[in-house]
Amino acid sequence: MSSATLAGRSEALVHIEGFKMAFANHVVIEDLSFDINRGETFGFLGSNGSGKTTTIRALLGIYQPTAGTLHIDGRVFRPEDGRQLGYLPEERGLYKKESVIDVMVYFGRLKGLSRQGAKSWSLQYLERTDLADKASVRLDKLSSGQQQKVQLGVTIMNNPELLILDEPTKGFDPVNRNLLMQIIEDQKRAGSTVMMVTHQMDEVERLCDRVILLKDGRSVAYGTINEVQDLYGGRTIRVRYSGTISDSPHYLVTLRERNYAELKFTDSSDESAILRELVESGVEIREFNTGKLSLNEIFLRVYGGDNSTKPI
Amino acid sequence: MRSHNLRTVISFEVHRTITKRRFWIATLIVPLAIAIVFGLVVASSNATQSSLAAQKSVNFSFAYHDASGVINKALMHRLGGVELTSVSTGIGEVRAGRIDAFFEYPANPIKEQIRVFGKDVGIFNNSKYANVATELLQASADQKIASAKLATLARGGVKVDTTTYINGVTAPGIKGLVPPLIYLVVFYLVIVLLGNQMLNSTLEEKENRVTEMILTTVDPNTLIIGKILSLFTAGLLQMAIFASPVIIGYVFFRSSLNLPNLNLSNLVFNARSMSVGALVLLGGFVLFTGTLVAIGAVMPTAKEAAGFFGVMMAMIFIPFYISSLIVSHPSAFIVQVFTFFPYTAPVTGMIRNGFGSLSPIESAILIVEQFSFGYVVLRIAVQLFRSGSIEYTKKVSIRGALGMRNTKNQRS
Repeated sequence: MSSATLAGRSEALVHIEGFKMAFANHVVIEDLSFDINRGETFGFLGSNGSGKTTTIRALLGIYQPTAGTLHIDGRVFRPEDGRQLGYLPEERGLYKKESVIDVMVYFGRLKGLSRQGAKSWSLQYLERTDLADKASVRLDKLSSGQQQKVQLGVTIMNNPELLILDEPTKGFDPVNRNLLMQIIEDQKRAGSTVMMVTHQMDEVERLCDRVILLKDGRSVAYGTINEVQDLYGGRTIRVRYSGTISDSPHYLVTLRERNYAELKFTDSSDESAILRELVESGVEIREFNTGKLSLNEIFLRVYGGDNSTKPI
Repeated sequence: MRSHNLRTVISFEVHRTITKRRFWIATLIVPLAIAIVFGLVVASSNATQSSLAAQKSVNFSFAYHDASGVINKALMHRLGGVELTSVSTGIGEVRAGRIDAFFEYPANPIKEQIRVFGKDVGIFNNSKYANVATELLQASADQKIASAKLATLARGGVKVDTTTYINGVTAPGIKGLVPPLIYLVVFYLVIVLLGNQMLNSTLEEKENRVTEMILTTVDPNTLIIGKILSLFTAGLLQMAIFASPVIIGYVFFRSSLNLPNLNLSNLVFNARSMSVGALVLLGGFVLFTGTLVAIGAVMPTAKEAAGFFGVMMAMIFIPFYISSLIVSHPSAFIVQVFTFFPYTAPVTGMIRNGFGSLSPIESAILIVEQFSFGYVVLRIAVQLFRSGSIEYTKKVSIRGALGMRNTKNQRS
């Protein structure tokens, strides 16, 4: 299958600038700006209620933004552009009283496929996802995981240029979650641009090229995963110890718990120099290692109210 | 692409409507009931005819007492009737089983009842005594008139053909009344049969959480129009199925069912009233369906929407409470209010149009009003559906949903 193309070419397929969204007097999103480049997988991260779904709905024209620019391929999204879009919303659902194949063919037709093309693609997809024997079964007779797989099929069946997935693995068991990850990787290899909302940081690290972290409707970090890790401490030393550790000209103590500390480099010293400095100051070292904070750790610190690690 | 999507929506909606068991149960129950009633009528008619034939051939013994002086004694004698001077004797003879029936004709049969006493032969066959007693009185009266023609006239067997004129041209009368009123019947059938489905059709998107998927795939105007057209198609199919037993009954069993012989060629189709009726029907349909879509978009469940649906139904039945006033005094204040209030206007307008009391200016105002309101309501309905139907679990604030349009538009 070849990827559908949108008219016009620029590096950013999605461009959001100065986006503000308010419901009555309640401001949900405040001055949000970011781009998603063609062909990249973009992680759209944030805690519940941080404004991710609202941003997606505004991007897709479901909500009218209070202010700002939200463009897909250089223009405001219209339902007619849906042929190049695959959208898996957070609120899942299809026509539950209809058969799997009827629903898939209906959406395939709306996305521009021929009836035969939609049917043929659907049957292949159902075969791949172990649902071949469910084609004529009503959707409400399927388990929720099976329904999700059908919905994902509907989302990708037009081989979209832009794939927006709002918590795609929600409700999936590990096996199906792995299958879904493979499907997303396939789409990525086929050239799709993927925008993914998820709370599974391992998924982000596995799939995403760049991420944005939203908190209370504002961006708190934006860039590649490395850039975000650097923003939240960069190279960090984790120490289990007994004694007292204080800030030095070569490092700052960014996190201090009982017998555990995280140190952030403040100059180009290497870890052996710092280890030597700690030992010489009388600290008894039990465990010493270096590395960057994982996205999961950053996420917990941003949304868990732990302010010990602030962006530099 | 819009027409492709419209065709796709119509095809899907029609297919899923007519493949539902519920649709066929609702659709077939009416013609089935009609067929059962027709069957009973035919069976009853056959039984009645058999009974009448049987009654004609049956000879039963009877006596009578005549206080009216109308009864022809020679006729009674010829048929075996015995005149008695005492009523109690007659009743006693029946009770004793010596005669089958006794008829007591009162002094004034117009004001008083003929009393019939008979040997019980079953609830259906007992009617033969009354039939014979009545026929004997009528036959006796006919013989007193001594003229078949006068006797027929006395029974009211008169046919009248009335011709009236409007501006020197023959008025169509009842023949011109029927065709534009067909629109009224169609309007009722469409709204009553399809209204609930329209309400549920948009609610279904919401209850199934499918709104976001569909709104990013197809324009909501196309979706709503597709739904309306598909339901109209399904409604036409329902109406055809409803009408089928009536048509079959009329064509093949007209005499058994005692149906009148309709000569449709006598109907007068006035171009103006037919055009006005069609436009009021169409405008009313747009207004009512738009309103039902809006209700479906605002309400979280079908159960909660049902109350509002009842109000919509009341709007099309309320004008019937003043139908005699609409026909006799079309200029009355209440009739004028009903003519121009958007939700009572279709029914009132179509009745007045049928009876020829809707002036060209009133017709124009009514049609423009229906289409204008229909368009506005449909636009509002689409907007409510767009923004309201993703409020999956709660009732949508109409002001909030519509107010979102007033926020500053995005820069493009």
